[in-house]
Amino acid sequence: MNALTIEGSQSTPSIFADWDLGRLIMRGDSYPENSFEFFSPVIDWIERYLTESAAPFGLELRLVYMNTSSVKAMMDIFDLLEDAHGRGRQVSVNWYYDPRNERVLDLADEFREDCSFPFEIAADEQ
Amino acid sequence: MSSEPRPLHDDEALILRIEGLLAQAAYQDNPLREPLAQLFEHSQGQRHRLERLVRISDGYQTAARSDSQTLAEQYDRQLRRLEKLARISDRYQASLREMSETLREASLQDQMTRLGNRRFLVDRLNAETERANRKNAPYALAMLDVDFFKAVNDSYGHGAGDQALCKIAHCIQEHVREYDHCGRWGGEEFLIILPETALESARQVAERVRHEIGTMRHDFFDGRITASLGLTLYLPGETYSATISRADMALLRAKAAGRDRVEVA
Repeated sequence: MNALTIEGSQSTPSIFADWDLGRLIMRGDSYPENSFEFFSPVIDWIERYLTESAAPFGLELRLVYMNTSSVKAMMDIFDLLEDAHGRGRQVSVNWYYDPRNERVLDLADEFREDCSFPFEIAADEQ
Repeated sequence: MSSEPRPLHDDEALILRIEGLLAQAAYQDNPLREPLAQLFEHSQGQRHRLERLVRISDGYQTAARSDSQTLAEQYDRQLRRLEKLARISDRYQASLREMSETLREASLQDQMTRLGNRRFLVDRLNAETERANRKNAPYALAMLDVDFFKAVNDSYGHGAGDQALCKIAHCIQEHVREYDHCGRWGGEEFLIILPETALESARQVAERVRHEIGTMRHDFFDGRITASLGLTLYLPGETYSATISRADMALLRAKAAGRDRVEVA
């Protein structure tokens, strides 16, 4: 299964992964009841992509609110990307925030701190 | 491991000397030669054992040391991650708290006049009713209605009406006492709650508010806009709805008696 689509809900982001484009998109709020369960297919997909494909990988985020365990899951994902980057893989993150909510900018910046791969934070003009 | 560790210089000299003695033909028949040869062999064996022991235990020590370094590094890394997690999570929480505070304020405020709204007034009424019964110190309640407000809207437009309402709201707020509560009850009706206040003092506040509203100037016409007030005291044990009904009755009497006045019930 190379496609991954998870419908969003009030407490979970919508997730869409495209193997051929090497892209995974997350959008919305994230405070699932069980973050581990929710994020494990996402983490699995990314791990598998980074192992089986040699093409570049881009993660696109439009996340607003995250609970603590979701923050942890995101840190795990960034660690995966950092490791892959260390092995010479081309990985990147693009984090889009709502310009009406500048706080997300600071939060994304905090996430970016330990990442040495390309990590762009930009206002979402959509 | 091919190279034997080099013995100390003294050791080496001693070993060479003993080997030399043992090899000399002249001592082959010496009775001490045999025990010396055995002792020498024994000593060499001990030396080798000692060297191996040192080598092995050095190896263990190095391994243990690198293990504990790795553990310390892992620990530091996990600690940094945890700190980062807490930091990010705290920020999310702080922004949520701010947002909920903003929402709470917005939910209690009348958007147009910036005074408390009906929900705010009901909160206050509940609290003051509870306090009045607990401390046996009744509050006074004034219902204020702007006189002929419909005519203002009809003649000068809703924009002018809204502007007048905001001005009146501001005027009420400015002329009640610091610890009184006021808010927009609905339409052109305002409510003033005067905690722990006797009727006579409450009447003074109500009269002051009425007077100040009546003397205000408006941008859109030269006339005055007045207000009528119905004033009453909370009676211990009753619901605040009963108090409001009584204030309403007094307000109707003020209207009937010609407006721009305070009536007490």
